[in-house]
Amino acid sequence: MSALGMEGSEEAQTPSGEALSLPWDRFSSWLHCICVVGFDLELGQTVEAMYPSHAKLTDKEKTSICYLSFPDSNSGCLGDTQFCFRFRQSTGRKSSLHCVLDQVDRDSPVYLKKDPSCFYGYVYFRQVRDKTLKRGYFQKSLVLISKLPYINFFHTVVKQIAPEYFERNDPCLEAACSDIDRWPAPVPGKTLHLPIMGLVVKVRIPTKHDKPGTTQLVDMTQQTDAHISVALPTIHEVDLFRCFSPVFFHIQLLWELVLLGEPLVVMAPSPSQSSETVLALVGCISPLKYCSDFRPYFTIHDSEFKEYTTRTQAPPSVIFGVTNPFFAKTLQHWPHIIRIGDVKLAGDVPKQVKVKKLKTLKTLDSKPGVYSSYKPYLNKDEEIIKQLQKGIQQKRPTEAQNAILRRHFLELTQSFIIPLERYVASLMPLLKSISAWKSPPQPKPFSQEEFMKTLEKTGPQLTSRLKGDWIGLYRHFLRSPNFDGWFRSRRKEMMQKLEALQLEALCNEDLLIWVQKHTEVESVDLVLKLKNKLAFAQREHLPVGVDTLQKLQGQVDTIIQELPEDLREILLKTNSS
Amino acid sequence: MALRELKVCLLGDTGVGKSSIVWRFVEDSFDPNINPTIGASFMTKTVQYQNELHKFLIWDTAGQERFRALAPMYYRGSTAAIIAYDITKEETFSTLKNWVKELRQHGPPNIVVAIAGNKCDLNDVREVLEKDAKDYADSINAVFVETSAKNAININELFLEISKRIPSANTSATSGKGFKLRRHSSETEQRCC
Repeated sequence: MSALGMEGSEEAQTPSGEALSLPWDRFSSWLHCICVVGFDLELGQTVEAMYPSHAKLTDKEKTSICYLSFPDSNSGCLGDTQFCFRFRQSTGRKSSLHCVLDQVDRDSPVYLKKDPSCFYGYVYFRQVRDKTLKRGYFQKSLVLISKLPYINFFHTVVKQIAPEYFERNDPCLEAACSDIDRWPAPVPGKTLHLPIMGLVVKVRIPTKHDKPGTTQLVDMTQQTDAHISVALPTIHEVDLFRCFSPVFFHIQLLWELVLLGEPLVVMAPSPSQSSETVLALVGCISPLKYCSDFRPYFTIHDSEFKEYTTRTQAPPSVIFGVTNPFFAKTLQHWPHIIRIGDVKLAGDVPKQVKVKKLKTLKTLDSKPGVYSSYKPYLNKDEEIIKQLQKGIQQKRPTEAQNAILRRHFLELTQSFIIPLERYVASLMPLLKSISAWKSPPQPKPFSQEEFMKTLEKTGPQLTSRLKGDWIGLYRHFLRSPNFDGWFRSRRKEMMQKLEALQLEALCNEDLLIWVQKHTEVESVDLVLKLKNKLAFAQREHLPVGVDTLQKLQGQVDTIIQELPEDLREILLKTNSS
Repeated sequence: MALRELKVCLLGDTGVGKSSIVWRFVEDSFDPNINPTIGASFMTKTVQYQNELHKFLIWDTAGQERFRALAPMYYRGSTAAIIAYDITKEETFSTLKNWVKELRQHGPPNIVVAIAGNKCDLNDVREVLEKDAKDYADSINAVFVETSAKNAININELFLEISKRIPSANTSATSGKGFKLRRHSSETEQRCC
């Protein structure tokens, strides 16, 4: 037997080499905390336990977690249920981002970045008859609270922890937390092997450089025993086909509604259906980021309930999922409603159905379907519908159906976004306009008319066979929060690129010659400006090479040495501050 | 070369040196002031055995009583269990026997059991005779070695013995074929000749 030595850095094992991280540092790069929510006969739902015990949640946040961790009483979920919710974090909470995490977040795709204003809750709820309890039922939820939208991954993790916890109590959570606290940080592009309570979960964290739609994880090992290890093909994607199957004749319409940030509510019989449908909707415009608020599971106790359901103003741009029948009345005025009935049997071929008029949605027992008076800009893609229907008849595996649908959405979104990307790239100033001695030029402003003109020759018709009013769709999109969010991040990237190019231009100048031709005051001014630029480059992670930064720093140091001693000292001091 | 993942759990009383055995095997180091394990710690090491790569996924469980109930999560799906005791403490050997019973009742049916009598460098204060432990191990068809994580005695051997007892993935495939051949023996024989 010959030892092959240590495993690669992918492993979560070398505590010796990683002595730099404090206890719970690693844990907090994945989770904020783990909560146990139970039912108290006098108090109602309460947070019974929280790990780690020093984790901070405001009372308001705790209340949100309590209500959102239990299904609405009417839905009568017996047995085990899993779902996900999202809630706003209290204002005034310090964003205590670990420095490592900034690095982590920077290389994440936009739709996988940490949520700056919200927490996700990944719930495992158990409700079983128990005569020994006063209430007659055992009702408890184990909830993972995190800022990371790794839906599929945390779904797997909570499923591993919760059933054991319900059987074996507190030592179980201690063990789980101790496991998680030894995980390596979620660094984009890395394949991680994450041990959790006897199971190894293998995942790959996507990066923003990944080609959308490519396979994310390749597992090299032969055997797959579900008790030993599990390789997740994706950390965040939900099964689009399963989620959309109750409404799959309307996928075109739904894609447009999500793209345009229209107010949309999903009424479902259970929190698991409501949350996965909302997540599927938000994910169907990937790689575009859905920029408005969304709540996979929303209850009447939510702190935003009044804000979102008021009739005094137009419904906000938000997607939420509800199960409480009360909403059918409260949200009657909403422009777009998806009603999902109880899950159909597999292999059942849904019949062609029309979009229903909103007027008909009055009562709780309204039929499942999409209620909206929206008329899609694009024609329906009959081919994808036929392809999926054929799949159902032929009992094609749901993974394959999901892959087909996912590719369809991806191609559609890309066809839509490529002309915008191309136009925005043309807003970048010419390279020759960048000067070492002037602040970088601004990108040209976005002109709707200029953009529309480009569509004639280089519009979506180049990549999509879908006909319809693309122009109308773009006009509408340009007014939507999703455009705003997308353009902001593109503009930021351009500004950073321009800053970086200017730094490079500076770097290629002989600053010493400049200094010799200028006054002392001007030299000092230059040094201070350069220092600011260097600090900015590091803080904002400008896309500029380390060698450029080093060379520039070297130039700054040389200039300082040229100055009289008294000035030199002052400038060196500002260096250290 | 085929890579096989083999789940291995370490069981045994608190303080017998389970974590030290794993550290010696994986890192080839020893720390006398190691902290008690919480829940279980996890490490991996890949070794070559004949024409296969054995990747040991090692779950080193906590010996403390309050974590006792968690053990099934770690021996579930395990190919092998290493049960360790301290040769200088008689009672740790009794605990070992209880683990064997639990594994027989609730563990995976074909789990390879390996018994490690650790701290064999402390022969002067020995309480458990090597022969007694060996006889017991033989009676339950378990691997047996006395080890010292501190002095690096018999640690690699322990895992080698486990590797030896694991049926090769290829053999099981071939034996399946062999079975088939025997069933249609006459026909096959004619074709072969």
